[in-house]
Amino acid sequence: MLVKKSLHSLTGKLIITIGALMVVVSAVFWYFLVQRQEKELLGNSVKYGSSFLNHVKESTRHEMLAFQPLLVQQTLEMLGSGEGVINARILDAKGRIAYSSIKEKKGVLLDKNEMPCISCHSKPLERGEMPSWVVNRGKEGYRILTIVRPIHNEPACYTSACHIHPKEQKILGFIKADLSLSVLDETVKKQKIAITAFVIGFICLLSVVLCTILWKLVSVPLSMLTHGMERVAAGELNYVVEIKTKDEIGELAKAFNAMTAELSIAKEELIEWGNTLEKKVEEKTGEIKKGQAQLVHSEKLASLGRMAAGVAHEINSPLTGIVTFGHLLQKKFSEGSEERQDIDVIIEQANRCSNIIKGLLGFARATSVEKGIVNLNDVINSSLNMVSHKADFFNIKIVLNLDETMQPIIANASQIQQVFLNMIINAADAMEGKGIFTITTQKVIDNGKPFAEVIFTDTGQGISEESLPKLFEPFFTTKPVGKGTGLGLAVSHGIIQDHGGKILVRSKLGEGASFFVRLPIYEG
Amino acid sequence: MSKGKILVIDDEDIVLVSCKRALLPEGFEVKTAQNGIEGLRMLEEERFDLVFTDLKMPDIDGIEVLRIIKQRWPGTGVIIITGYQTVDSAVAAIKLGAYDYIEKPFTPDGIINAVNKALEDRKK
Repeated sequence: MLVKKSLHSLTGKLIITIGALMVVVSAVFWYFLVQRQEKELLGNSVKYGSSFLNHVKESTRHEMLAFQPLLVQQTLEMLGSGEGVINARILDAKGRIAYSSIKEKKGVLLDKNEMPCISCHSKPLERGEMPSWVVNRGKEGYRILTIVRPIHNEPACYTSACHIHPKEQKILGFIKADLSLSVLDETVKKQKIAITAFVIGFICLLSVVLCTILWKLVSVPLSMLTHGMERVAAGELNYVVEIKTKDEIGELAKAFNAMTAELSIAKEELIEWGNTLEKKVEEKTGEIKKGQAQLVHSEKLASLGRMAAGVAHEINSPLTGIVTFGHLLQKKFSEGSEERQDIDVIIEQANRCSNIIKGLLGFARATSVEKGIVNLNDVINSSLNMVSHKADFFNIKIVLNLDETMQPIIANASQIQQVFLNMIINAADAMEGKGIFTITTQKVIDNGKPFAEVIFTDTGQGISEESLPKLFEPFFTTKPVGKGTGLGLAVSHGIIQDHGGKILVRSKLGEGASFFVRLPIYEG
Repeated sequence: MSKGKILVIDDEDIVLVSCKRALLPEGFEVKTAQNGIEGLRMLEEERFDLVFTDLKMPDIDGIEVLRIIKQRWPGTGVIIITGYQTVDSAVAAIKLGAYDYIEKPFTPDGIINAVNKALEDRKK
């Protein structure tokens, strides 16, 4: 797993920010701490120096009053040899070194800028017991505390036997000491180092802890999420980010997982839609094609019907002439004569023409005949009664599978009977006098609507594939010339269509045929 | 004195000729008209016992001819002849007072019978 380790990462930025802040805060803290410590230490040193000067004063007081310069010098030398004391001097009021722990300095006049002269010569002398002090950097690298206190005149001094000091003189001289601050410097240095080390150590520790926390809490989960997003973007929609923490990152991961799950479902749905859409489009295309073909077919039949009607109308008039004059001529010849026979043929054929035309008109008629409630089973029975006694049906076994619960339909009974008779006669013709003829009635659902279906199944010769599409066209017939007009099915088709139904055929050559007549069930 | 005066209106000559040939030998007086207007004009001029009219004609159709005859000459019988029978037109014709309805092609005997029946009924 790739985790960003650069300074641009969230962790890097946070660490830099916090680190910088801590360095600044620590530096300030460090500065004030060191300052305060140094001030305190210096204060202590000044106290120590002051008590040292007091000690010098007290130690030399007796020798001074007794005017024993040698002894004063000895005492000063002894005191000046103490640890941390660089030198100790006693100056007279004019700034001349009267005594010094370092012998050769005796008698030298101090520069006015030097302590303690500067205190009086730069500004009015502050009267007080507290000595003035200054810190200078010495040649050896450590600092030097120079501390001075005045020696005030007192009765013992001007009443002393030597009478050196007049009573009016206020300050008799100064005690000045140069004290080494090397120990203090060393301590301060050590403390500085210690504090610095502590601060650095603290920063380092804090950084490590922060790093670890940020790494564990932010960087790793974030990179896991990023990785997850990349995987999802690449199409791996079932990828699950394994972060189970209960913080915001955990919630983010949970939301992310929920999102990918939703995405996955949505994608599956889309794919399924895509697939079914194709199928549905195919189905619909098929339906549309079928519907279109049916439409073209019925339009064809309708225009054929209109043409047939026109033709019928035109032909009936000449036929009237032929029939009338035939009959007139017929009467002029005695029965049995050759002429009479010829004329009979003319009349007979004219009548045949007339019958064909009647059939055509039946097909073409856009009937709006009276319709009533019709029981299909009754119509089937009465149709069978009309034909079953005919010789054609003697060797045909008729099987009836009638649904006794069939609801009635709204139809013209005689037209429906005409259709059924046509079906029965066609079946008998196809079976050539032998076989099994089955009539079945049942309820079916077509396009969501209930239909009564009558199936006429014969075991006859069947219908060839080429003949099937032309079956309902007028004048299409497979029967021998003179036997069929080719109008039966065309008329039937017209009638059933007029009733809001349809006729379907299923057949194969040599395997018989089934005609399905569907009529809408009356739901009133 | 003829057995009856008959007017046949049809746009087809052969129908007119056929009617004439069938009815003349039976002793009827038969006149013919080629269309509805001509037929109505002839009806204005003389009285007919019976009118045969085709339904479908170029100017005015048989139903219109029937309506006018029944309005103006209610005593004249009308028989419709048609080559294209529909239940609607038959119902309309009978409602308007047509006596009968004959389909083409008809036989001489058929038309003679129709005429005889109509004229006999008229006499009653």
